[in-house]
Amino acid sequence: MFGVDWLGLAVPLAYLGILLGSLATFSSLYRKRKAHKAASLEPWFPAHLQRDIYFSLLHLEPSSNEKKTAAIPDSIFKASLLRRAAEDIRRIMALRGQKQALSMLLQRGSVGDDLWKRFERAEKEMEDEVKDVVSEANAYVPGWGQTIFQSANEMLNNEIYRKRMEEQASKVEEERKWWDKKKTSIKEGFMKELEEDSSATQTTPTSTTAKDPETAPTTSPAPGASVQGSDDDAVLVEAENTSSTPNSPASAKKKGKGKK
Amino acid sequence: MASEIDIYNQYPIHMDPASKALSLLSSTTPAQKALLTTELEELNTLHRSLISLDPPNIPPAPLPLNPKRSAQISKLRDSANTAYRKSNYDEAIKLYTYAIDMGLARPGWEPVGVAREELAGLYGNRAQAWMAQQAWPEGLVDAKASVDSKPVGNVKAWWRIAKSLAEMGRYEESRKFLHKGLDIEGKESEGGKELFALLEEVDRALLRGLKA
Repeated sequence: MFGVDWLGLAVPLAYLGILLGSLATFSSLYRKRKAHKAASLEPWFPAHLQRDIYFSLLHLEPSSNEKKTAAIPDSIFKASLLRRAAEDIRRIMALRGQKQALSMLLQRGSVGDDLWKRFERAEKEMEDEVKDVVSEANAYVPGWGQTIFQSANEMLNNEIYRKRMEEQASKVEEERKWWDKKKTSIKEGFMKELEEDSSATQTTPTSTTAKDPETAPTTSPAPGASVQGSDDDAVLVEAENTSSTPNSPASAKKKGKGKK
Repeated sequence: MASEIDIYNQYPIHMDPASKALSLLSSTTPAQKALLTTELEELNTLHRSLISLDPPNIPPAPLPLNPKRSAQISKLRDSANTAYRKSNYDEAIKLYTYAIDMGLARPGWEPVGVAREELAGLYGNRAQAWMAQQAWPEGLVDAKASVDSKPVGNVKAWWRIAKSLAEMGRYEESRKFLHKGLDIEGKESEGGKELFALLEEVDRALLRGLKA
């Protein structure tokens, strides 16, 4: 009685076994491949240099076998943590700026799912990173976690601003060169056509006097402006003089105060 | 997740025990090395400015501001303004330059808005001092820096850019800046009128140039 049943059952059992087995292998393979793909996705940002340095510093002591290397003072860690926070802010800003555009592109189907996954992972990472920085900051000085990102934000903005100012300042030489060249060419032009009126380059004299800065409302020197053409030689000399004449500043200031 | 956040690249960093300055030990690729060195440089600078702070050695919250530096800068500015009024332009420029350097050297964690406001005024004034000496290129650059620091409510700096350009015969550029300034300031304001007057002048000069 049993034997008959076994024989009869063998076929459906084998069928079931093969079915389930193949399903299991397929699903496990699929999952493995997916996990592998997610792991191999390119990170959104390049390596976080400041963070790497911070951790390198933290782990420096055990690895350095020389006894004489002094322990790294807290202040260095704090500075390093600040730099790390500033970089975090830069990344968070970048993520925020990209999010909307990216989700739009995703809706339209212009970009693949992979890109979105990478983005989400970056967001998640940054969240953890910020939490980590705050807790580290609080460990150094209680309550610092509340202000470290404010400070870092200002540092970042200040850095950007300083860079722009530097850029502006670096243009002076170029402008000066251009103007010197132009001035000499204007002068040559005048030498050639001495009799010609210089009205083309003239500007009305009133404008300079009309617009005085609040800092100096009384004395706006506009002698050269109105007669720029004919007086070009004088202007040139004057302009060159300005940089070379070292006016004794202290005495001048004193004199001024004395007069008052 | 926990494993991911613990991953980092270890760099061979070395600290000089005496000066506490960090530096990089060799054995990295050249490209990496350049990046790391500049970063460590910045870190050392920041560290030095942190050390000079009071005991907790952390940057204070951006506000309230330490008034010391502001007071020094405004003192410098005042004496520069006095020098300017006495037509002592070299002196004025020198003092403005000191004040600007001081403003630029504000510690990074102080609010950027304060630095911008302060420097916008200083650059604007120095531009005026340059222009008083017909040093148009320097005036132009300083006025541009001023506008860059504070585009709104800075009508004088807009005017100075345009004026410097016009004086150098660059009417097209001057016009462009005047239009920009007018867009921001509006024609009705006091400064707007002056911008407008200069714009008319520049337009006339342009017309003359076309006819000639």
